[in-house]
Amino acid sequence: MTSTRMTVGLVALALACARAGSAQVTAREVLERLDANMTIRTVRMRAELIVHYRGGDDRTMTFESWERGTDQSFLEFTSPARDAGSRFLRQGDAMWIYLPRVGKSVRIQGHMLRQGFMGSDFSYGDASENPSMANDYDAVIERRDTVDGRQVVVLSLTARRPNLSYSRRRTWVDTERWVPLREELFAASGRLLKTMTLSDVRRLADRWYPFRIELDDALQTETTTTFRVLEMRLGVAVPSEVFTLRYLESGR
Amino acid sequence: MSEPHRRLPLLRLAWRNAHRSVRRTALTASAVTVAAAALVFGQAYVRGTLGNMVDTYARTESGHVRVRREGFTTRERSLPTHLSVPGAAALARELSGLPGVRAALPRVRAFALVDGAGANRPGLLLGLDLALERDYWRPQAMVASGRLPLAGRAEVLAGEGIARRLGVGVGDSLTLLVQTAHRSLGGLRLVVTGLGRSGMPFLDNAMLIVPLDQAQGMLDLEGGATELLVYGADAGEADALAGAVRRVVENRISGGAEVRSWREQSQLMRLMASAGAAMGVVWALMLLMAGLVVVNTMLMAVMERTREFGTQAALGMRRGDVVRLVVAEGAVIGALGGAVGAAVGSAVALYLGRVGIDFSGFARAIALPFDPIVYPAWSWADALGSVVLGSAAAGLAALVPGWRAARLQPAEALRT
Repeated sequence: MTSTRMTVGLVALALACARAGSAQVTAREVLERLDANMTIRTVRMRAELIVHYRGGDDRTMTFESWERGTDQSFLEFTSPARDAGSRFLRQGDAMWIYLPRVGKSVRIQGHMLRQGFMGSDFSYGDASENPSMANDYDAVIERRDTVDGRQVVVLSLTARRPNLSYSRRRTWVDTERWVPLREELFAASGRLLKTMTLSDVRRLADRWYPFRIELDDALQTETTTTFRVLEMRLGVAVPSEVFTLRYLESGR
Repeated sequence: MSEPHRRLPLLRLAWRNAHRSVRRTALTASAVTVAAAALVFGQAYVRGTLGNMVDTYARTESGHVRVRREGFTTRERSLPTHLSVPGAAALARELSGLPGVRAALPRVRAFALVDGAGANRPGLLLGLDLALERDYWRPQAMVASGRLPLAGRAEVLAGEGIARRLGVGVGDSLTLLVQTAHRSLGGLRLVVTGLGRSGMPFLDNAMLIVPLDQAQGMLDLEGGATELLVYGADAGEADALAGAVRRVVENRISGGAEVRSWREQSQLMRLMASAGAAMGVVWALMLLMAGLVVVNTMLMAVMERTREFGTQAALGMRRGDVVRLVVAEGAVIGALGGAVGAAVGSAVALYLGRVGIDFSGFARAIALPFDPIVYPAWSWADALGSVVLGSAAAGLAALVPGWRAARLQPAEALRT
């Protein structure tokens, strides 16, 4: 996945974009294509996160993010004013948060990984986890189907290692653009945890990306969340110091 | 022509007869003693335990009446801070002026993610006006080490359990992350001034008591509170108090308000409060068992006194008088046993009511508001009642032997 596992992974969930491929690939090949497409050298993104509350209220936050490779990302909220300056840093599987009013970075771990990222349906774990779909999941093709008029293959994924956020996934993959269009995420017990719908798929360089993700956390009944990419640039130069705790706390 | 029936001095005769076989009387009375002692102590214990639960629940959770923003309770699992009571201090002052109101206290209750010495844990943030809460939440009684935080300072009293899990102690810092009233991410760094021990593990493993002003600032509540607890003179009058509070609060909180007495807040507590009545069945069974012992020993007494009853019958004593005499004997012995039992039960209840019974082990196993030290609540009514009940139960039980004695034929009885 590109951009920001933190962001579109926020995005990490979505992942997988890909090049064109054959209609008769195996499940394993689908995952490999998704992984190949997710690996981008650098990306800079501006995006918004909209939390929709039961009752009709919305809360919109915008942020900018930088990502280098699959292990480093940095994200800073720019609006609204009360959230501006809140920053997140990811180094591998480790993640830190910095709030200006606290004045200190906090490592996000344990229980906190399951909490909603800035009150959204994405969890901090979603944003920090960086699974390799081909290496971390076994897949079988359940069926072929259509979503919004596009041909998809429905994959059933089972985690190969125990410490992943989701033990099982069901993913609807567009077999022309190799982008997931829908995903269901399950706990080990088989309980449905989250449902994700990906849309507004755009071509960027030689890849296809979902610019809009709708996420519904089944355990968080008060909200649904929309993630929308406003601007995405690939191959931009990102200084190394951005991915440091010093930069996280000072912003420079 | 028969002589008019002369009224027998039943109680005097019964009292005299009770002394004729001290051993048997003592045996009969001892059953009533045990039952009466159990009755007096049991009632004091049950009242103390239920009172403990209701009182602890009212102090720490429900107030006598609780005011919240409409919708808060249905979303209680997430403690939604955006559903707060605005202008809580002014509203509390107004409610304090209601007749019968002893205190109206704004409180803040919110979930927090707590970062300690390299570990994160979920915690329960409790913003309290520490001066006003001395007689209600009683935070001063929970300080196991260190001191309470001070208003106006970024300080926290952390539950011993959560502090241990986070690896922090007095003098260390904690960082709290919370969802603010605007639903954004807020937080604060706090110095741990003390460690708290409530004896309730679900609290000790989560509670973070901070000054009300600090909690309001951290959550962007701007003078609001997540709840306002109103206390009257008597928890039993909470429903009437809720009506008065409702009239004041009505139309004062945009989006509506939830005003509920403690009874309306918890079905479990309602059940607990009415469990005292259910215990009546246990007391009745206890008296029944004592009555059975009385029946046995008095039947023995009647058998031994067959000649005596025969003689009395031959001298013209009526059957009704025989029954009344035996019943009076039972009642007298029951009153004696009841008095001794009431004295023993009262002594135990009064002693334990002063020193308390430590249920810390039990409290660790339950997630209920329950102060681990239970103080039996003795009452005069229980003590006097147990004497009366003991006497009545023994008197009733003596009906059977009395009836047997009354059926004896004088000639037959005299031959035995």
